[in-house]
Amino acid sequence: MPKRTLAVYTATGCPACENGILDTHYQVSSLTPWVDVVFWPHLLGGEWEDLEGVDRIDLCIFAGALAGEADREAAARLREKSEVMIACGACAAFGGLPGLINLRPESTGKAAETGDLEGCPPLPAVTRPVAGLPGACTVDYVIPGCPPPQNLLWAAIQATLCGGEAPARISFAASRLPDSLASAIAAGVLPNKGSVFGGEKGVCASCSRRKEEKKFTSFHRPYELNPDSGRCLLEQGLICQGIATREGCGGACTAVGAGCRGCFGKAENVFDAGAKMVSAISSTFDATDSRTAEGLAGQFLDPAGTFYRYTLPEQCVLMSAGTKE
Amino acid sequence: MNGFEPKIVAFLCNWCSYVAADAAGVARLPQKPNVRVIRVFCSGMVDPSYVLKAFSSGADGVLIAGCHPGDCHYISGNIKAMRRAPLLKSLLNDLGVEDGRFRLEWIAASEGPRYASVIDEMIEKIRILGPFVPATSRTMKGAV
Repeated sequence: MPKRTLAVYTATGCPACENGILDTHYQVSSLTPWVDVVFWPHLLGGEWEDLEGVDRIDLCIFAGALAGEADREAAARLREKSEVMIACGACAAFGGLPGLINLRPESTGKAAETGDLEGCPPLPAVTRPVAGLPGACTVDYVIPGCPPPQNLLWAAIQATLCGGEAPARISFAASRLPDSLASAIAAGVLPNKGSVFGGEKGVCASCSRRKEEKKFTSFHRPYELNPDSGRCLLEQGLICQGIATREGCGGACTAVGAGCRGCFGKAENVFDAGAKMVSAISSTFDATDSRTAEGLAGQFLDPAGTFYRYTLPEQCVLMSAGTKE
Repeated sequence: MNGFEPKIVAFLCNWCSYVAADAAGVARLPQKPNVRVIRVFCSGMVDPSYVLKAFSSGADGVLIAGCHPGDCHYISGNIKAMRRAPLLKSLLNDLGVEDGRFRLEWIAASEGPRYASVIDEMIEKIRILGPFVPATSRTMKGAV
């Protein structure tokens, strides 16, 4: 089998997704018999011209949100040459943190003005809504997470590049994947287009904390409280979005007492993460009159920025309408 | 806003508000026709996602109406609706849905006239606000 070609690129985002790929337990180097890396500017350096000599990219791992015209152009160029395109990480998959710009688009103009005063280069103006990769081109697979866990990255790379001749067994990765994905990987065929390398249920399904009667009398910010071990964080008054978020991470954050922030996007059967969280939190307010309920609701600053922290451009039903071409 | 007719989705509880709407019709009370009524068994079953779905599908306003507190056929369903409303309202505000487009009202079975007046008042307010356009396309459309 001729070597497969791989491209890795990050648009507007941080290098954590690419570092995640490098950090897959020193196995990246074991890909050498299968893979030729043709474009990976963050790791190998390089210019867009390098792509001109490449006829075909078998796998493109695209990370980062699309915030400006340069990002959209990069997505279009890579899509044109790529057989399989993976949106890697919350930014590429759902718009991520840069997507929160869509809540206050006018603020980028102000930031651009003050940039020069501090001796910094001005920020590029955001002329269109920030989008995830699905807002600009067809995406074959999605690896959610901020950053995606190594086991899911590894599963995706093996599923798309190695054709069943996996250099290392991936049972540890497949164990948390839906059956259809896991068996495709084991059989060495490409999974169904559009598959998400993550679980199907909510994070609560893989969180070991005990869930009891939920009644809220007040809410806490993470620094205000040292949560009891073994008890549901939401019950203790911390915002935990596990109930609305896709599993696959194994409850990594909730296991160490940090509430889930929703980086895997919404779970399979959730219509809208914000609505789900409003329902989950406020149905259990300890209030029998509207004044108390309003008081409790008033403790939440920035509900949209909290509930759609990673997913606003692609998964919020009211904000995503404008990002499509 | 010439010729703009607001579209209101009204979730009416089976035991009180739907009966009130029925009574308002039987009593021939004049009321504006811009309402799409959805009968639900209790205002407490109206999940916030129904409200978001209504707005994303083109509604200009959403009304949830149920029994007065203490009168719920299922004892406390309307209290659940009451608890959800403030947080839902602040989420909607963040997403660009103005005050007045989403309302929670208590309308008893005997309050036909009140149903008609709530509907008329809401429609007039939304007529002034204009059609609901999702925030992303509204703020950046000119730049595309």
